[in-house]
Amino acid sequence: MHDIDDLERRGVPGVYVASDTFTDAAALQAAALGLDVAGVFVAHPIQDRTDDEMAGLADEAIDALVAALTAS
Amino acid sequence: MLGGTTRPSDEVVALIPPNLVEGTVEKVAVNAVMAGCRPEYLPVVLAALEAICTDEFNMHGVLATTMSVGPILVVNGPIAAAIGMNSGINVLGHGNRANSSIGRAVQLVLRNLGGGAPGGIDRATLGHMGKQGICFAEDEAGSPWNSLAEERGFDRSQSTVTAFCGEGPHLVVDQLSRSPESLTRSLAASLRSAVSPRLVLGMDGMLVLSPEHMARYRDAGWDRARFLAELTEYLMFDTDEIIAGADGIEEGLPPGLAGHRLPKFRPGGLLVVHAGGPAGLFSAIIGGWISGPGGSDPVTREITP
Amino acid sequence: MTTTVLDPTAEQRPATRERSQRPESLSGLTVGLLDISKPRGDVFLDRVEEALCALGARVTRYAKPTFTKPAPVDLRHEIATQCDAVIEALAD
Repeated sequence: MHDIDDLERRGVPGVYVASDTFTDAAALQAAALGLDVAGVFVAHPIQDRTDDEMAGLADEAIDALVAALTAS
Repeated sequence: MLGGTTRPSDEVVALIPPNLVEGTVEKVAVNAVMAGCRPEYLPVVLAALEAICTDEFNMHGVLATTMSVGPILVVNGPIAAAIGMNSGINVLGHGNRANSSIGRAVQLVLRNLGGGAPGGIDRATLGHMGKQGICFAEDEAGSPWNSLAEERGFDRSQSTVTAFCGEGPHLVVDQLSRSPESLTRSLAASLRSAVSPRLVLGMDGMLVLSPEHMARYRDAGWDRARFLAELTEYLMFDTDEIIAGADGIEEGLPPGLAGHRLPKFRPGGLLVVHAGGPAGLFSAIIGGWISGPGGSDPVTREITP
Repeated sequence: MTTTVLDPTAEQRPATRERSQRPESLSGLTVGLLDISKPRGDVFLDRVEEALCALGARVTRYAKPTFTKPAPVDLRHEIATQCDAVIEALAD
């Protein structure tokens, strides 16, 4: 999130992806940084997923990712 | 409290993660009071913060990881005795004000000042009791070996604090070994399981060698270098035995690493400290976290007045 | 007798900032995909890359040396100068 915050400071729209167990941590970190950093959360866990399951998570996230980066 | 250091109260000791707040001597002192420190402990707290708030130690990463690790602080040099630190009985436990409050003060600074609250930025799945704050002294006077600080390039006359990113201590029982060879094999057998018996090279470790175990090496004339050389031999793994899937266990090394012999720890990745009470054929292992530039390196800082 | 209470916290609140301005669409823009280098994130980003390309975006891939630390300043500068938007993944 520090990376996205820094890139936003440089004028680059950014969004991070995290697993949904980090929703509250992300909110706290964003508050500390002073920027409502855009984030998209995918279903936890991640480390034991198959490639197909990972692709499925990406498919589910893509609309939210595009929305987070665009004005429309 | 501020009388415990000659440093000005507005001096910034370190940028305290995760929020990178300027940690002034005064702010640290406020937290040291809350922790129960006496003023003469303050220089140790300040040096410990300097050690952990470095890119090498990576305190932000240590806070944020779900692994259950935190800074383990080891004090060497004259200040340990001067402020009444414990290096003997119950050294990793409670009952000594300096040991208990110095580590506690460091943890309070991270939480109160840096904003690294458990459940917030601190994501440890389990945590460990040492995250209340752990700091202990090496028993240098009773050791036939050079100290941890000397091993790390400092002089015996210097006071230092070494920060190691570690789990809680794990007891190693060996009450039967009479020879240094047997004891070394026995310690190695336990060290092979540090963090996970299926993982090698990715994590450092700490071994707290007790006086009765150290006596085996003293009596046989083994120095630290000899001990580490022999121990390293017994810490070699045939990777086929710990490849993912071997023995029906899916955790393990990637299949591409089959057919190798690899050491448990990287060179210099096992820190050995002499401490503990005079009776008891036990030592302790403290497993580490991801080692090196991608994780945390141990950091030693001189403690100055 | 007066009592002074000292505050152990940072006693500061960050200045609140707005997100940077968003484009209308990603079509024709360069989107940086920053892999934090945790296992499995690359597989996720491979699929995101396919989807973004289908939307008409150009994709440039980057990777942090380690997920345990913020990206090096040089890498952040590189992304900022080469990309119109960035997606960072995948923290778990």
